[in-house]
Amino acid sequence: MGIVDLITRVDSICKKYDKYDLDKQREANISGDDAFSRLYSAVESALEAVLQKTEELSSVTNRAKAVAMNAEIRRTKARLLEGIPKLQRLALKKVKGLSSEELDARNDLVLSLRDKIEAIPESSAPVVSGWAASTSYSNIRFDTNVSDDRIGSEYFKPTEESDQFKQEYEMKRIKQDQGLDFIAEGLDTLKNMAQDINEELDRQEPLMDEIDTKIDKAATDLKSTNVRLKDTVTKLRSSRNFCIDIILLCILLGIAAFIYNSVK
Amino acid sequence: MSSDPEKMMSKADKMTKLTLTRWSADWRGATELYEQAANGFRASNKYEKAKVALEKASKGQEMQSSPWDAAKHMESAAALAQKLSIWNEVADFYRKASELYVECGRAQPASDALGKAARALEDVKPDDAIQLYTDACEILEEDGRDQMAFDLYRACANVYIKLEKFTDAATFFLRLGVAADKCDATNSQCKAYLSAIIVYLYAHDLKQAEKCYNDCSQIDAFLKSDQNRSASRLLTAYNEGDIEEIKKVASSSTVSNLDNVIIKLARKLPTGDVTAIQMNMGDDLDEDDLT
Repeated sequence: MGIVDLITRVDSICKKYDKYDLDKQREANISGDDAFSRLYSAVESALEAVLQKTEELSSVTNRAKAVAMNAEIRRTKARLLEGIPKLQRLALKKVKGLSSEELDARNDLVLSLRDKIEAIPESSAPVVSGWAASTSYSNIRFDTNVSDDRIGSEYFKPTEESDQFKQEYEMKRIKQDQGLDFIAEGLDTLKNMAQDINEELDRQEPLMDEIDTKIDKAATDLKSTNVRLKDTVTKLRSSRNFCIDIILLCILLGIAAFIYNSVK
Repeated sequence: MSSDPEKMMSKADKMTKLTLTRWSADWRGATELYEQAANGFRASNKYEKAKVALEKASKGQEMQSSPWDAAKHMESAAALAQKLSIWNEVADFYRKASELYVECGRAQPASDALGKAARALEDVKPDDAIQLYTDACEILEEDGRDQMAFDLYRACANVYIKLEKFTDAATFFLRLGVAADKCDATNSQCKAYLSAIIVYLYAHDLKQAEKCYNDCSQIDAFLKSDQNRSASRLLTAYNEGDIEEIKKVASSSTVSNLDNVIIKLARKLPTGDVTAIQMNMGDDLDEDDLT
């Protein structure tokens, strides 16, 4: 169990056994006559209830329920805000048995209470807009439904500016859709071309292998032929054979000259 | 050796004829002369004579047991015959060339020869062209080179479509699918199936198209493809009689990636009355539900 859990448990236990807390009871008795304190405690309890409701809201999945709860929260908030000025007036009134510091403190209390009340919608609004965002991502059609609900609720008052803005937004969205469609088409063409290239390469692979083996064979044939040719050529035209040929030729000429001389 | 081709021809003829003085024909010399004569004729644009010379040269090569050269000469002869528009000779020569190539054991040039013949005869004698295409595909399939057969199948199917024999065209596309399946060419396979479905729809044969679609859906590769989605959209659009949807699918990019002929068919969809089909289908269902 974490510290937070411990704290919450302790808080709830304390609250449960508050009636046994004598000090607090005495305080409450003292402020029982004080109009300010009474009103203050009332406002505080209402605030707590509203906060509880906002927590519930985040766990509710039914959109209609969420909207209804939102409306109720806003109504309560409006009522509470109305009660704040009254509380402030009461705070400034001097009461018997209260020090001046406590008077100032009361004023501060009132202001802080007001801030707390005004802080409520901010915690609920993101829930609603998050809802809208998620629906618009999953299903484009849902978006218009949510905006209708917003119009229906008392919080949203359509002004000319907001209408114009909405129109502009719709136009831009349509343009974006068109652009995306165009890109999608281009991608389709690319995909088809890529697949065709893939098949063509598959087709040419065995051909290349065949070419490879054939050329290898031709290359080896050529190499062996070259070697044989070289051998033959060296055999035919080697310098040793040349010398032998010349010497034999000279001997033949010598023999011929000898015979010629002897015949003459 | 005289440079006059005519003289060469006559000389070569004399060499090959068996007479009392000549006991065996001199094919080698004769073939050489024939080839030279053919070149001479071609240079002087006497195509008829060149063709004859090539024929004889080819015969000479055959006698010398070199089927490759013989086949090459035959092909050249066939090309000349094509120029002269003597169509039956074109077919014969190309067939002979193809047989010689098969003798060499080279399937690819054999089917190429038949393919060339078929292309030449496409406009003039489409039935012969189809026969030639089918034979070419068979040669390739026997040799296990299915991938080369794709183009031939497509060309053949196009000829069928031109002849408006749609069931035959669709059958050929399915054969293309089988060949593609053997070589794992999924893109061609899916495109072939989509083309077949479109052909059936163009022939206004919705039941056949649906049957075809169901058959094709058994194949995993088709099931996961874009073409499958387009096909299903097309068929649902047909079943609902939604002409707008049909036109939208027909102009989508998936269909535009198919063959030109198929694109033309797709753009002309829907043929006939789509709403009538829908009504009939609706009636059938109602009766079944009531009874």
